[in-house]
Amino acid sequence: MVTTLLISVTIVTSLAVFLALLMVIADATIANYGEVDISINDGSRQYTVRGGKPLLKTLGEQEIFIPSACGGRGSCGLCKVQVVKGGGSILPTELPWLSEEEQQDNIRLSCQFKVKESLEIKIPEELFLVKAFETKVAQIRDLTHDIKEVTLQLVDPPEISAKAGQFIQFQVPEYELTDEEVYRAYSLSSAPSDSTKVELEIRLVPNGICTTYVHKYLKEGDTVMINGPYGDFYLRESDREAICVAGGSGMAPIKSILLDMKDKGISRKTRYFFGARSAGDLFLIDEMRELEKTLPDFTFIPALSEPQPEDDWDGDTGLITDVLDRKLENIQEAEAYLCGSPGMIDACVKVLKDKGIPDERIFYDKFA
Amino acid sequence: MKQSPLLQQIQEQMKPGIITLDGFLGKDTRNLIDILIEDDGTVRRLGRTHRAIAQRMQYFRDAGYAGLGEFITVDGHFEVRVDSVRGKLPSPFGGPQLYWKVNTVVRNLELDREVFYTDLHIHFVRDHGFYEGKGSPYRLDPVELIDVLEIPATNV
Repeated sequence: MVTTLLISVTIVTSLAVFLALLMVIADATIANYGEVDISINDGSRQYTVRGGKPLLKTLGEQEIFIPSACGGRGSCGLCKVQVVKGGGSILPTELPWLSEEEQQDNIRLSCQFKVKESLEIKIPEELFLVKAFETKVAQIRDLTHDIKEVTLQLVDPPEISAKAGQFIQFQVPEYELTDEEVYRAYSLSSAPSDSTKVELEIRLVPNGICTTYVHKYLKEGDTVMINGPYGDFYLRESDREAICVAGGSGMAPIKSILLDMKDKGISRKTRYFFGARSAGDLFLIDEMRELEKTLPDFTFIPALSEPQPEDDWDGDTGLITDVLDRKLENIQEAEAYLCGSPGMIDACVKVLKDKGIPDERIFYDKFA
Repeated sequence: MKQSPLLQQIQEQMKPGIITLDGFLGKDTRNLIDILIEDDGTVRRLGRTHRAIAQRMQYFRDAGYAGLGEFITVDGHFEVRVDSVRGKLPSPFGGPQLYWKVNTVVRNLELDREVFYTDLHIHFVRDHGFYEGKGSPYRLDPVELIDVLEIPATNV
């Protein structure tokens, strides 16, 4: 009886070891794609890489950073690249993010498909300017009860070349809420002229991996890895009136744009509408009032949707859309720059279009 | 309880790193069927339905959307904020729909308590009676939802 049991255990164990060995061999041979070539933008850059990883990660290892807000899980749809040759068929996990036109142009989600053969791809040239930076937290400041301003001093490389309004990706290391590194995108709030540091305004999202890390774990002196800059939300060159609208941490890119205007001596008429619920949700008011003195034709218009009695508020009231509707007349020739939640952006775009600003002159950074 | 292969497949989709970093089950080592049965029992015992709870969640989500990303007062003693982070998520239960990462915070000022949920949660509760596993960072306690959102008892 004992002998039979021992023989059975030995057979099962041997079988398990054999299968495990088979899997290791299979992984090393079948799943070994060897070295493959990636040609970017008609051969302007060429890399020989080891196959087998998602394109997003493979490019990242070559220090080519494709924007991604979900850390490569296929849930943000940002990391699109055009695949000219190779790459196989579009995967079911990519389809929800791709329009019919994009599918015809073989646009792919670079986080979803693995590099198994040589590829020819096209990416925007400006992504070659994106770099990874080691930074040190120089200052953390409370702006409101749930928004912090984080100033990062660049260490290596020591300078960044960004346009006002662009964003970076902030790397969250492993900590209590995550057992792997994750990236989240945040707009720069600092002036591009100070290229040795970046400022971010980060609002606490309940259970948010990055925002919880920043609000509850990050300390001055900590090292933070970022990469960037990304994005096409920036002030266009023109003499048109600029109408800026933001709420909450949407303040960040607008502040960066205003500081840039000051540095460059841009004197075009600018009105900035900022929506908050009550006085406790307003921030950087002094800085905005100071800009009213230094920019030649700038007006800051904060508005409270539900001012509290203790606020003693005599400024504009109502939802920011109501304020826009009341205050804006004859703005058909203006440009608009918006940053905030999708609901806010959609509602504001509707008001601005009703007032005569065409789609092509409404620029926005939507948190969606 | 033994569960069907389909539920087993769904449970696999709920593990960390498949759809979301944390997954949907937390430290709950029970089968999905057991998680569903326990929460279903709680909701029934309290005289509510998953559909009624989901409807109330949706009500605050829609009312809060009018606040354009800031808190807004709803029905006198609730404060609601609806905002978003970038991206959409599929449901581990399957189906073609993707759910925007829309977050709703509802504060009940009379109770001085708040709940937080996403659009995906509304789908979970409405269509599957699923509130996530115990220890999941996004777990919704049905009792807490019923209390804070003031969901009246219905004829089950």
